[in-house]
Amino acid sequence: MWEAATDGRRLKFHLTGINNQNFIMADEETGTWWQQVSGEAIHGPLKGRRLNGVFHDELTFATWRRERPQGRVLRPSEDNDAWRKFSERWEEQTAKLPVVTQAAAQDKLAPRAVVLGVNLNGAAKAYPLEPVERQSPLVDKVGGVPLLVVLGEDKKSVRAFETTVDGRALEFYVKADAVGGGAWRMFDGETQSEWDFTGRAVAGALAGRQLKKIPLLKDYWFDWKLYNPQTLVYAFNAP
Amino acid sequence: MNTKTKRRLLWLALLAVVVAAFAWVFVPVWTIQPFKAQTPGGLNLSYTLRSWSTVATPVALALAALLVVVLWRGTRWWMKVALVLLLVPPVAATWFSRQNHFEWMFKPLAQSAYVAADKVDFVGDEEMVLAVEVNGDAVAYPVRQLAYHHVVEDTVGGLPVVSTY
Repeated sequence: MWEAATDGRRLKFHLTGINNQNFIMADEETGTWWQQVSGEAIHGPLKGRRLNGVFHDELTFATWRRERPQGRVLRPSEDNDAWRKFSERWEEQTAKLPVVTQAAAQDKLAPRAVVLGVNLNGAAKAYPLEPVERQSPLVDKVGGVPLLVVLGEDKKSVRAFETTVDGRALEFYVKADAVGGGAWRMFDGETQSEWDFTGRAVAGALAGRQLKKIPLLKDYWFDWKLYNPQTLVYAFNAP
Repeated sequence: MNTKTKRRLLWLALLAVVVAAFAWVFVPVWTIQPFKAQTPGGLNLSYTLRSWSTVATPVALALAALLVVVLWRGTRWWMKVALVLLLVPPVAATWFSRQNHFEWMFKPLAQSAYVAADKVDFVGDEEMVLAVEVNGDAVAYPVRQLAYHHVVEDTVGGLPVVSTY
């Protein structure tokens, strides 16, 4: 998700090509080619510029609607059925497509394994879905920033937050009985405040506080690795 | 230079122009294939060819047409057929240079339209959406739609945004 402007000038983008399986978009105004995943201008008059990222979440529709009942939703195109046909099985179909970039021999992840990528202070880390699903919240540190990666009540939505509040890193846990009965809540070990999935404390000493959100990029491993060659991979140390 | 040599050179020039017009649009298509690896050099060449193709292909077509006119007189009928056929690639290239063949398959949204969250009946509860909120304006873009269109333009809370997937 990018700000569609540079230097105060609005840009209108079109799909125009593909670069090692990440698409290239061209703006109508200057004809510059932009890489979708990095927001970087790779060819043309604006080469070297970067679009500003716009913070976004990747959530299930039910979770989003519960949080933002007043929101608006993109309506499907009515003038063509191609998208419907394409979209019905796009996820399974895409998972079967070949990958053209070379995987490193030591890579344990499959090229099309889905990872959640974090980029903080120049450090990159990929969280495969499996450990996040096994242990949530997952507590870690990237680029010196203590953070948590947490799976929502729907078991599909994932968010990441900085865990530092008032200069101290809190420890968080999801109360087992919160899942299923009643509203989903996280608790911090220090004050026992209750936190919802948006990262806001809704009860307890810290009520009203908001954890700082960290952008997560859901991506295929091969693509994340290509644009973050120095990335670390979170390893779940099973006993 | 005798007439025969001259005509031969004109034929060679015509063939060169026809091949160039075809290559001008074909090289980027060949280089930028979805299931092929791209190199920075290949992309750079493709960018250069594509950014000049709407000018280069009609110029090639005009040049080819001129050569065909010059060669037309005193040519046998079957050579005239060949001359006409040689105009097909530059005509096709001129047309193709004004097309975006990626948008043939993934048609762009001409105008994005939105529905209030509580009125939505076209997204399943378990379906994933990209969600963004700026200045209290909260928008969800269903991933199924983004995966097809690739690019959706919007203004969210006053901010110009392009949602991509």
